[in-house]
Amino acid sequence: MTAAVALGAKPTATTIALVGRPNAGKSSLYNALTGGTARVGNFPGITVDVLEAQVTFGTGDAVTVVDLPGVYSVEAIADPESDEGHARRYLDRLSSAGTPHLVAQVLDATHLPMGLRLTLELKRRGAPMVLLATQHDELMRRGSMLDAKALSAALGLPVLAVSARSPNVKQQLEAFLADAVRVRAVEPTLVTDVDALAAQVLKPLGDSKAQAAAVRRRTERMDALLLHPVFAPFLFVGLMTALFAAVFLVSDPVTGLIDLVNRALGARLESALGPGWVSSLLVDGVLGGAGTVLGFLPQIVILTMAMEVIEASGYLARGTFLVDRILKLAGLGGRSFVPLLTAHACAVPAITSTRIIRDPGQRLRTMLVLPLMTCSARIPTYGLLIGTFFATRGPVFKGAMFVGLYAAGALAGFVASLVLGKTVKRAGRSLPLVLEMPAYRRPQAKVVLLAGWRAATRFVRDVGSVILVATVVLWALLTVPGPGSAEASLRAPPDSSPRVVAMHGSIAAFVGRALEPVTQPAGFDWRINVGLIGSVGARELMVGTMGVIFGIEGDGDEVSPLSQKLRDAKSRTGARAYGVPTGLALMAFFVIACQCMSTLAAVRRETRSWRWPAFVFGYTYSVAWVLAVVVFQVTRALGW
Amino acid sequence: MTISKLQVGQTRVVKGLRLPPGEAAWLRAVGLYEGVSVTPLRFGPFRGPVHLRTSTGAELAIDFDLAQAVDLGDLP
Ligand SMILES: Nc1nc2c(ncn2[C@@H]2O[C@H](COP(=O)(O)OP(=O)(O)OP(=O)(O)O)[C@@H](O)[C@H]2O)c(=O)[nH]1
Ligand SMILES: [Mg+2]
Repeated sequence: MTAAVALGAKPTATTIALVGRPNAGKSSLYNALTGGTARVGNFPGITVDVLEAQVTFGTGDAVTVVDLPGVYSVEAIADPESDEGHARRYLDRLSSAGTPHLVAQVLDATHLPMGLRLTLELKRRGAPMVLLATQHDELMRRGSMLDAKALSAALGLPVLAVSARSPNVKQQLEAFLADAVRVRAVEPTLVTDVDALAAQVLKPLGDSKAQAAAVRRRTERMDALLLHPVFAPFLFVGLMTALFAAVFLVSDPVTGLIDLVNRALGARLESALGPGWVSSLLVDGVLGGAGTVLGFLPQIVILTMAMEVIEASGYLARGTFLVDRILKLAGLGGRSFVPLLTAHACAVPAITSTRIIRDPGQRLRTMLVLPLMTCSARIPTYGLLIGTFFATRGPVFKGAMFVGLYAAGALAGFVASLVLGKTVKRAGRSLPLVLEMPAYRRPQAKVVLLAGWRAATRFVRDVGSVILVATVVLWALLTVPGPGSAEASLRAPPDSSPRVVAMHGSIAAFVGRALEPVTQPAGFDWRINVGLIGSVGARELMVGTMGVIFGIEGDGDEVSPLSQKLRDAKSRTGARAYGVPTGLALMAFFVIACQCMSTLAAVRRETRSWRWPAFVFGYTYSVAWVLAVVVFQVTRALGW
Repeated sequence: MTISKLQVGQTRVVKGLRLPPGEAAWLRAVGLYEGVSVTPLRFGPFRGPVHLRTSTGAELAIDFDLAQAVDLGDLP
């Protein structure tokens, strides 16, 4: 402990708020300082929520570091629901609550003048303040460096020039901030012309003009291609297609391998434990349920890493430019693009990220159609259904089918926004589309791999906790007899084993059968219904439930994969239970239905009302059902 | 003269914003303020967004409607 701590001279737990324009580099510095995992991306508006972490510096100073969404101004009015509004509210609360705090403005050193305008506004608020001029490595690449001393003298503020990518950034920041938290006063400044000041404090390192022009030309060349009026839309669609096809084609063999290991393990367990409920619980419940879901790990990891590359490169802003017109046709706008795209990984963060949309009506409508985008939790079901009903087709057909399901989700979203655009309006100030286009950057391999690793551990954790518990509960419900079990169990297909007969009389079977009158027109029997009920909470459970049910049905058969068991499934009469029409109907259902409690909770949190999550649940389930019925009836009539 | 009427590569200075005061203030903070000069880099098809560069080195994509509301003057 330092002497200062012993004497109590140091303010305790000062809050250091990282404030700055969007895309300045706040979250990167936050991560460096706190070891945190704030999302970083080359797009203005990646951070949409306030993040906090308590840290103790090497100097012994204990502080709270806060990462905020970007702000352009702290004086112009901001929409309170927007990302900027959230940051502004936090800052206002910080000053009104009298919390000891330090405003650490993060400026992008390559865009100094605009950052300095915000500096003048922040200074007028009178809170203790320092400047972190970040991305200094980028500035040097453009042939300049920042004279931090001169800038500090002109503004009367401590200034640190730093790069988030330098290896000793943490030590630099700690040393600088530890000094800064002891400063309480703000010196006035006479600076008014920020452009002149910027010109004065940027020192050329060699031929800065030529180097800056070279960097600019590189971005121009990329833009000439990626924003080309004719080729760019094709490139965009091609890129998305390649991405989703790769998710399927690259990871499908690995999934098969995991499945194989899983089944071998099941066979071992069964022969070691002998028949009985313990072995059924472990083999059918745990391995058949959670284990089957786990097999889809590679898809999730590949998708996450690809999204990370897109985010880090600067393509998001270009995508926004490209799809703005199309989204306008659907009653949305360019700023809806990033939430809609991120929803292809998971709808929950995407719903929070609608805060970057400046128009309240568009924001609400984007939130309502987001759940239609194909999130990664649908991948296991799609993979299983394609593997089951199109097993004999080649990989190209299967890959196309998979991509087609993504397209179906996007199309459904387009149609839904068209309809909602006519009905769901919301009053409020609407700001026109204004988006900063950042320079392209090369994604860092380390960051991309880390994102993949995090997605993998999160998925394994989810499967090992929520999904495991849920599949075990489902196994229990498929084991415990329900009302009228004796009579119900007679409905098992002929020649069923006692275990299967018992399952037909279980609580789950009772509930599933009660729903059959509603779902039969879509080709769903009680077993699929149980899966659908299980997946109301989270769609991954569909595959888990199927794994459990057909694990029990295939009693003793640990050799065939789940898709084989589904194909061979018998109906009450002993005929084949499911054909292609059922498979397609189930796909249609999964494209539309919002089978995700976390998504509904996120809609509730963002809209602060129960009405909209109820609406999302209601409309997606009813449309899903209608579509499933239509698909089933039509394809069956066509004799598929 | 407005941004919407410029040719790609032509540079002019922003003279005024025909917008409600709140919106104008926000736009100035983003980087389109009186005195900054702008150069369109490309126009999105079908009255799509305008991609432009300002004299501070920033690149922005703005709505075509908004581009019509930014009045320009000759370079000093
Ligand atoms: N080369 C380099 N790139 C940086 C540095 N700091 C940030 N970046 C990159 O700049 C982009 C924006 O960084 P973020 O940390 O997400 O910026 P932010 O201010 O949190 O952005 P928002 O949350 O969108 O407001 C990312 O692509 C980062 O990888 C730096 O010091 N050097
Ligand atoms: Mg951020």
